[in-house]
Amino acid sequence: MDVLFEGQAEIRFTHPDDFREWVRTHKKREPVEKLMTEREAIARLVSDGDYLAYDFSSLTRGPQALVREIIRQRKRDLWVCAEFTLHESALLVGSGCASRIDVGFMGYGSYIGKVVAEGRVRVFEWTNGSLAFRMLAGARGIPFIPMRNLLGTDTLRHSGAKVVQDPFTGDPICLVPALNPDVFLVHVHQADVFGNARIFGTNLFALEAAMASKKVIVSCEEIIDPSEFRKEPSKTTIPYFLVDAVVHLPFGAYPGGVQGRYDLDLEHIDKVNAITNDQEMQVYLQEYIYDIEDHTTFLEKKVGWKRLQELIRRAAIKEGYH
Amino acid sequence: MGVVEFTDTELMICSAARLLEDRKTVFVGWGMPQVVAMLAERLYTPNLVQVFEFGAIGPRSLTPFVRGTMGGPSNVYQSLQWINMNWAFSYAVTGYIDYGMIGALQVDLYGNVNSTLLGGTYERPGRRFPGSGGGNEVASLCWKTIIVLKHEPRRFVKLLDFVTSPGYLDGPGAREKAGLPRGTGPWRVVTSKALIGFDEVTKKMTLLGVLRGVKVADVLEGMGFEPLLDAKLQEIEPPLDEELRILRQEVDPSGLIIRGERMRTER
Repeated sequence: MDVLFEGQAEIRFTHPDDFREWVRTHKKREPVEKLMTEREAIARLVSDGDYLAYDFSSLTRGPQALVREIIRQRKRDLWVCAEFTLHESALLVGSGCASRIDVGFMGYGSYIGKVVAEGRVRVFEWTNGSLAFRMLAGARGIPFIPMRNLLGTDTLRHSGAKVVQDPFTGDPICLVPALNPDVFLVHVHQADVFGNARIFGTNLFALEAAMASKKVIVSCEEIIDPSEFRKEPSKTTIPYFLVDAVVHLPFGAYPGGVQGRYDLDLEHIDKVNAITNDQEMQVYLQEYIYDIEDHTTFLEKKVGWKRLQELIRRAAIKEGYH
Repeated sequence: MGVVEFTDTELMICSAARLLEDRKTVFVGWGMPQVVAMLAERLYTPNLVQVFEFGAIGPRSLTPFVRGTMGGPSNVYQSLQWINMNWAFSYAVTGYIDYGMIGALQVDLYGNVNSTLLGGTYERPGRRFPGSGGGNEVASLCWKTIIVLKHEPRRFVKLLDFVTSPGYLDGPGAREKAGLPRGTGPWRVVTSKALIGFDEVTKKMTLLGVLRGVKVADVLEGMGFEPLLDAKLQEIEPPLDEELRILRQEVDPSGLIIRGERMRTER
């Protein structure tokens, strides 16, 4: 197959056999209890230089408490998969944790746009669809996957995709490399202590990313008994043997919401998005992350039960989330 | 004859909603397109199947529009199916999605779209924006793409600062030559003054209509290129009372999306 065009972006790439070796040696097949604190999970499983991915959106079921813990532990040189992301990328860059971003959608608020323009974080151009497809290839154990878009654009030029002549149709086709993140963070509705997990509602690539990533941290609203999963197997989103840590973090998506449980807190989200410069960023990080010991303290001191009750009350739509 | 007052955003929303067909499918992006789809569903296309990149297939979104509901419960209410992103885009790439709707920072004569950066270089842009999101997928894979943007001359440029999502690239046959699916491409550009299509042969932008009371010269003034003029130029009717009532009272009563520059036109 002739390569007709090559995008310029640097990519994080793992040979499928290297990933298989990782799974063979690091992923425990037997169910062991993986319940731990967020501090322990991030300290054990996130290393400087890691490639980090997460599901779902900043406003709905994002792993916000885990992201805050990464910032609290001052991890460095992370490469972030900014898929469908709003303020996480800004906080991870503003805290000095992330140095590279694969961009699917990197909004909103002016801080992140400014630091990219100043050249303080390296960005590589993708799309929401191509990053999801890369994750699918990672989960399929194949080195790349062909797709029908990116073609003809500057997005392609600044991505790490390649265009080849498709041996079946003879037409040009875009190949995107598999993505095998070092760490995948996912906040779910229900999990058991072994790591079986249930998500209600839609997702980006929860199963794909859990399967494609070397280390998987699940945080959950609720811990349920393992026998529940065997009663209704069609509800299992992620089986335990993909998972390395389970953290019980009620309201773990705050300031985002979790479907059927609590609504997002737009006032707090506005506060994050109003950050325009480093000074304001440092003030926010100090007040809401560095000075706060853990997620429980964050909820107690920075949100309060009264506010949480209000957010629970606002989550009036329950249909489908059970 | 009276005078009707509205915002530029309301006009764009109403014009775009009138373009959609009932019993068809549309890929809907965040923000204004969501509101367009809600208005269309309530007034013109009750059986429109809305598809969202985050995996909601055929929801009947609850009103009022709540800011920040991309993927949230009111946005995905009463869907036919809840699935994930790879499957959502699969509906588009296999040809099931009739319309796609996206916004733009800049467009060129062939309907190519920039939503990534303005000025400077890629490494050091003058201003950086969120990027493609799912826009590149929508513009590449849906049968007919509708581009919605404010009618400002600086947005209509000869050369885009960055080609985020493909229009007809550099002319007839270019999409197919690049490997994009056959028979797809930009179909309409909805602005706050005009409705624009694309010439079947040359694939160049063609002015189809202007808002009542606006002169063609006003529409063309300052644009970085000259679109073709359709032989039967239409007059775009300003927002109808019923459209404005639904938008202001039911869909977006707090004015999160419909706010904008005030305009007025004779009824």
